[in-house]
Amino acid sequence: MSGGGNRKKNTRSQGWEDAGSDFYQESYPLDPEFEVLQKDPKHLHTLLPSKQTRAAVATIRMRTNDYRSNKSTVRRHTASRTRSRRDSTVHRRTSTIGGDVQLSMLPDLSEMKTNEESAWEEVMRLKELPIPMAQKKEMKNKIMNEPNLRLQGYENFNWKRRKLWTHLEARVREFLQKIELWKGSLRHIEGNFGTGVVAFFLFVKWLFLLNCGMCLLIFLYLTLPTILLDYDKSFNCTDASLACSCTESYFNSSQSENNVVLEVMQGTGFLERTILFYGFYSNKVLSYMLSGVEMYYNIPLAYILVMLACFLISLVLILRSAAKGFKERLVESEGQFYLYCNLVFGGWDFCIDNEKAARTKHKAVYNEIKAALETEKLTEERQGRTRKEQYKILMSRLVVNILVVVILIGCGIVIYYTFDFSTQKIVHSTQEIETNEKLLQLLYEFLPSMVIVSMNIIVPFIFRFLINFEKYTPIVEIRFTLIRTVFLRLASLVVLYASLLTRITCSRPSDRTCTPCNDSPECWETFVGQQIFKLLVTDFGTHVILTFIVNFVRALLAKHLNNKFFEFIGEQTFDLSKHALDVVYTQTLCWFGMFYAPLLSLLAAVMFFFLFYIKKFNCVINCKPSPVIYRASRSHSMFMVVLLVSYLFAVLPIAYSIYELMPSKTCGPFSGENTVWSLVVDLFMSWPEWIQKCVFYLNTPGFVIPFFIVLVLLLYYYSAINSANRHMVVVLKNQLVLEGHDKQFLLDRLSLFIKQENQKRARAEQMRDRDRDSDSRNT
Amino acid sequence: MGQSKSQFTEEELQDYQDLTYFTKKEVLYAHQKFKSLAPEKVGHNKNAKLPMSKILQFPELSVNPFGERICKVFSSSQDGDCTFEDFLDMMSIFSENAPKPVKAEHAFRIFDFDGDDMLGISDLKQIINRLTNDNKLNDSEMTMLVQNILTEADLDDDSSLSFAEFEHIIDRSPDFLSSFRIRL
Repeated sequence: MSGGGNRKKNTRSQGWEDAGSDFYQESYPLDPEFEVLQKDPKHLHTLLPSKQTRAAVATIRMRTNDYRSNKSTVRRHTASRTRSRRDSTVHRRTSTIGGDVQLSMLPDLSEMKTNEESAWEEVMRLKELPIPMAQKKEMKNKIMNEPNLRLQGYENFNWKRRKLWTHLEARVREFLQKIELWKGSLRHIEGNFGTGVVAFFLFVKWLFLLNCGMCLLIFLYLTLPTILLDYDKSFNCTDASLACSCTESYFNSSQSENNVVLEVMQGTGFLERTILFYGFYSNKVLSYMLSGVEMYYNIPLAYILVMLACFLISLVLILRSAAKGFKERLVESEGQFYLYCNLVFGGWDFCIDNEKAARTKHKAVYNEIKAALETEKLTEERQGRTRKEQYKILMSRLVVNILVVVILIGCGIVIYYTFDFSTQKIVHSTQEIETNEKLLQLLYEFLPSMVIVSMNIIVPFIFRFLINFEKYTPIVEIRFTLIRTVFLRLASLVVLYASLLTRITCSRPSDRTCTPCNDSPECWETFVGQQIFKLLVTDFGTHVILTFIVNFVRALLAKHLNNKFFEFIGEQTFDLSKHALDVVYTQTLCWFGMFYAPLLSLLAAVMFFFLFYIKKFNCVINCKPSPVIYRASRSHSMFMVVLLVSYLFAVLPIAYSIYELMPSKTCGPFSGENTVWSLVVDLFMSWPEWIQKCVFYLNTPGFVIPFFIVLVLLLYYYSAINSANRHMVVVLKNQLVLEGHDKQFLLDRLSLFIKQENQKRARAEQMRDRDRDSDSRNT
Repeated sequence: MGQSKSQFTEEELQDYQDLTYFTKKEVLYAHQKFKSLAPEKVGHNKNAKLPMSKILQFPELSVNPFGERICKVFSSSQDGDCTFEDFLDMMSIFSENAPKPVKAEHAFRIFDFDGDDMLGISDLKQIINRLTNDNKLNDSEMTMLVQNILTEADLDDDSSLSFAEFEHIIDRSPDFLSSFRIRL
């Protein structure tokens, strides 16, 4: 305003230009924008330099001629990895624009000229520009027609290689897209149910591919050599070792004749001594002739290495997939940064392609916004809770948690005793099987699996009912139910492990030499494999029955009978966490059983293939779109966490059995060894001495302690950097707010000043008019 | 595909491949989709300009609350009518291979209803209204929501979101890439 005082006598146009140059340093010519400003000074902020760069993007279509100078502003936001490259091109551009004089003064001419590679790069980057195709084409032509320097020698080769590489990449991508599995199904689901549900189906696909990979590995390195070299089990034990004679007796023992279908379902009978189970693989080093040279294939070693490889690959893939999600979740969880922004800007799935789905989505977005706003109110309300209410809620939560633990333990006990009961019955009835007892026998066989599966179905309902009393927020509620259900499933597995363990180890030494105790199975690894096999089959069967019969009928009832009651029992939504658990459970069983039945991964792959269709049927036909929004990233990370936990639950017992339990003498690649691990130790001992020394050195305190200290120091270093960065973020944020306030303050001042100027001018004009009037009157 | 192939020269296809995130085959597929919107018109002139109402018949756009805006942003004549090249641009930005910053740039332009290069309160309200469609939030909820968005993202406190602020949001939004996508 003091400035306004100085320029009192300035005429209109002068005042404008002065003010402009004072504040912006660049003088703007009289623009239509200024005309607008004059009427409404509030539009001043559109003239800020930061806005000008964006405006340049918007108006770029007007000025294609000097697109190159604009381009640097268009792309100012691209990642820093291209910065160095861009800087050089920007530099070149300014020099070409600046004129030839400047160019001649620069020492290195070749740096300033385009070469083929940079021209090509520029063309490749054109696609990022937000301008219509016609202009992009024009630019491309311009770049292509400019004189280029030809690349030579190594550079030329390098560029050609890069070009070829991108070309190949595009080809491979095209090919992969063509053979992509379930593309149409995924698109259909996505169009109707949104990205969150598709994340589940992608997860099923991921598991299917994982199992295919593992199956391929096992088949190539384990099953194929066995089939080729060791298929006829002919025994002529020349050495009188115990293992050999035991194996002989195992394979020659009579197999009970039974119904083929039942045998396939149970994995017994003829199926027991096939490549499906552990027992079939031999403990010999197989030899074969390859073009006259004798080659060896060590089956036991291959067995353990392939298994280790499978578990490692699974772990690495899970971690890799989970790490991405974790990072995003970490960012998100830091104070719930962008909850509402994500809701609004990421709320719509652009892939939705039909009216019905769109309506559901509108409704879901509305609900979610409402819920988010309400949660905020709820947290406020919670702070206002009285102490008495707090105690009440605390008590109810305690009671519910105790109940949940009791239910879990109860389930464990039930499973344990069922298993005990059924095995006793089976052992007793093996002596004589009459035809009418066969069904009963089958029932006993499947009793444990059926109990486990039915518990997995019923108990989650109880949990979902109980959680209502705890008064959590909806997100926490879902999380708690999920955690409890995971525990239920894993607890039932743990009990299964325990009961299996009591079956195969016993305190009483056996009078038979081939098995550790009297009532234990001949080949306990195969026995365990059979149990898992049965469990998998039962689980899969229930999926089929539940989906195609129970849920389908429910859905039909709800659809065709307009009855409140039927609608209540019939209508179902696609509960993502429940279905994810189903799938993860199958995978856990597969991992656990894989060591005892190598081709279980093939079975799992087949199952996942069908499960995809079963779940799709359930989702598309039986279910209505869920009123809850599932976020793709959130559900993906949830799947991965659950999968990781289940992986640990599957692998730990196997690690224990490899390290501790004695393999059965009658069968399998490790018969005759003390533990499976001892084979690996033996192998290690046969390595050159210096490797052994190295490994032993890694075990000594002289290495371990310094290593540990370095790790701790690194950890400390990174945590220090982390906290410093966090502090910096806060500081910068505050600074940004201050700058924003400063800017607004200045803008307000400026608009006030302009207003005053306008008023003054108006007053001056009035005065002049009056003067003129009085003059005219005087004359 | 054989029919539409004759409509393009190899050179044109190469251009399209270089200037979009598509391969030549996908370009042809996109043209098929475009043709199916108005078979006769496009049959005559492969790059015919279709009115916005025709473009909005594309299934993903027809139910999209921002369908109109999308057409306007990508239309080279800025009135929502799209030629095939505009349509191709659109599909290229929405394709899986387009990187996040490029998508963010276009998302910002789609959301910027009044074209003032800022997402102001009126823009935000319009976005929310279009998102919820028939289920309208009441006034207090709307103000609360807009206020929450601004407290989250409006770093310089000028009660509107600039592009930099918007891009910051998108950077932190794990679901944006998967939701801002149309499968061809």
